[in-house]
Amino acid sequence: MRKRITRNSTIAFAIVTLAFVAFPLLVDTEESYLVYFFFMCFIYVALAQGWNLVAGYAGQASFGQHAFFGLGAYITAITWKAGWTDFLDPVAMMLSGAGAALLAMIIGVALLSKLRGDYFALGTLGLGEILRVVFTQGGTLTGGPVGLLLPSSSYQSLGPYYFIALAIAFSTFLFIWLLMRSRVGLALVAIREDEQAAASNGIHVLKFKILAFAAGAFFAGMCGSIYGYFLFHIHPLGFFSLNWALLPVLMTVLGGIGTLFGPVLGAFVLTGVFELANLYIPEIHPIFSGLFVILVMLFLPQGIMSLGGKSIVTRLFPFFFGSSK
Amino acid sequence: MKRVVGGKNVFWFGFALILVFCFGLAGAAHAKTEKKADKKEILIGTNLPLTGILSMVGIEQRWAYETAVADINKAGGIMVKEYGKKLPVKLVVADDESDPGKAAAAVERLIKVSKVDMLLGGFAAPFGVIPGCITSEKYKKYYHTSICLIPPWLEHKFQWSTLFFFDLEQACSVPYEIWGKLPANEKIQKPALIMEDTFDGRAFAGIFRKLAEKYGYKFVLDEPSAVGAKDYSAQIIKAKSLGVDAILIFGADADCITFVRQMKENDFSVKYMHGWKGTWAGEFSQALGKDAQYILLDGFWSMDFPFPGSKELGERYYAKFKKYSVSVGALYALCQILWQGIEKAGTLDSAKVRQAVLDNEFQTMMGKVKYDKNGVAIFVSTGSQWWDGKQMTVYPFELTNYKIKLAPPWKER
Repeated sequence: MRKRITRNSTIAFAIVTLAFVAFPLLVDTEESYLVYFFFMCFIYVALAQGWNLVAGYAGQASFGQHAFFGLGAYITAITWKAGWTDFLDPVAMMLSGAGAALLAMIIGVALLSKLRGDYFALGTLGLGEILRVVFTQGGTLTGGPVGLLLPSSSYQSLGPYYFIALAIAFSTFLFIWLLMRSRVGLALVAIREDEQAAASNGIHVLKFKILAFAAGAFFAGMCGSIYGYFLFHIHPLGFFSLNWALLPVLMTVLGGIGTLFGPVLGAFVLTGVFELANLYIPEIHPIFSGLFVILVMLFLPQGIMSLGGKSIVTRLFPFFFGSSK
Repeated sequence: MKRVVGGKNVFWFGFALILVFCFGLAGAAHAKTEKKADKKEILIGTNLPLTGILSMVGIEQRWAYETAVADINKAGGIMVKEYGKKLPVKLVVADDESDPGKAAAAVERLIKVSKVDMLLGGFAAPFGVIPGCITSEKYKKYYHTSICLIPPWLEHKFQWSTLFFFDLEQACSVPYEIWGKLPANEKIQKPALIMEDTFDGRAFAGIFRKLAEKYGYKFVLDEPSAVGAKDYSAQIIKAKSLGVDAILIFGADADCITFVRQMKENDFSVKYMHGWKGTWAGEFSQALGKDAQYILLDGFWSMDFPFPGSKELGERYYAKFKKYSVSVGALYALCQILWQGIEKAGTLDSAKVRQAVLDNEFQTMMGKVKYDKNGVAIFVSTGSQWWDGKQMTVYPFELTNYKIKLAPPWKER
């Protein structure tokens, strides 16, 4: 029975992924707005999954995704401008992720060993603000408040961006899926449920917390990198904007925190709501979007994933829907 | 935390939602697709800061664009040779939320969903204009813009945009030019420079310092100010102790208002105070009332300009908002250039319209406008003084008869 479920899961997951892979091949990427829409959704999926790993699975609510996102973008821009990397260079993207993860580890040692709960969240919020000021005052290296201008003539098509963002979102998804099936995942959940109990069972609490924090930062850094390549102008106000920290939180909570599929659903739904509201009611779109979030939180406080019950889909995707909580 | 169990039909619910969004977006895009023979209007898109920190200035920009569109439509529209008829203009506005990423998204939507023929620019280089230009560059749509410092715009070597704005060095020379005309016994001795620590603030500060040397001045106080700072008393007390007699300030409206209020509270007055960005909007004068008197402001335009339609436009703006503007004329002129460019090109092809804008000279509310080979046309930045709720033009000297008034101490006002 379990073998059949696993096989069905794999097939269903492969079909959805293949549909996304095939989509830009069937439409004109330069004409279709959906290609751009999905590109943004993939970025949000990866950001939300990164936050979900730290907050949903490890129980450490962080508001520092914008710090790692911005840092990733700046690493890409600086290495490109210095001639060390190239346009849409995988090395630059990996460096961006690694740089963000390294910062998360350094900060994580200080914050996670001393702070918990709201205090940790506020500490990470401060990190983003500190980085914004550091990069604004960074002189010629960071371009100061002007930021870094990249050669926009490098742009050829939206297609590569779409596929890279899809790959990042897919990798994030796969990483967390595998992680949560491993002993590390079990340790993270144990820490979330009861830190002292986890420690008394021999789990190195700080090590696993830092691991989750760094992994979430790695994906945020990668997202910052691809988005930096897309905008061609890395600017401290735009890339260290709180939006990059708050939206992934909102998406994860809206979709279902601590579930694998929740952040995906939340990212698609919220990006879609924002886009349609922007399109049809530009004057009052923040009111509509805000109202939508309030209604979902009122009637589905556990997120869309909490609609409940068993369906063919939950049988097809047991690991996506089944929470470890 | 409570256990969250996966839901019945959750996947299909989510999938259906995604499909709704896709159909919504695709439907909107399809509805806008017109065949050449059916072309009924010229669609002009624009990304404006309708929400966010720049929403106040976005209102003026939107009014200028909408007024220019209403006026051209009243005249029957724009003659487009390719279609053999006059076509009315429809303005499609997208909110860029005063955010660079959202500005790029807004322009993507305008091009791909609203299917606009070309675009009018947003506000401010980093927030709306540069992201808009880059996105237009990707899809080869003409982005006809203003309100962007020239050097960062030139750095991109845009091929699908044009820029109509002032030269930063000229704008920064205005106070020195005005000081040069003051009587010998009123000469400025100890100026101070208070510049917002941002993209634009630093750019202005650098040029002010360079020009100070050229004109023979030395700032006795030169400090950056943080955006949204609520307490300027340290800078004010320092300036007071140094005997500062003139202040050049660059900052947002709210910050400039706070600065002036705290100057009064500290009984610190300077005979010359000139602001950029934060002192030109009507809200500045309305918030400070009589305390705004004597303060100078930058601007793009004046209703006192001797160009056709200037006075009428200023009066129409006043009738609508009960305040005056020093920006709407320049933005209206931007539209006038585009309308004439389309007519001269005889087509709605972005490349040809841009080329027509580069090749021709245009008669506008800002006088004659001619673009250079890089796609830049320069206008003169003005200097005005608040007097009884109106911006009285002080500079350019040749376009005004108004004589600047130097501020007495607060108690004598």
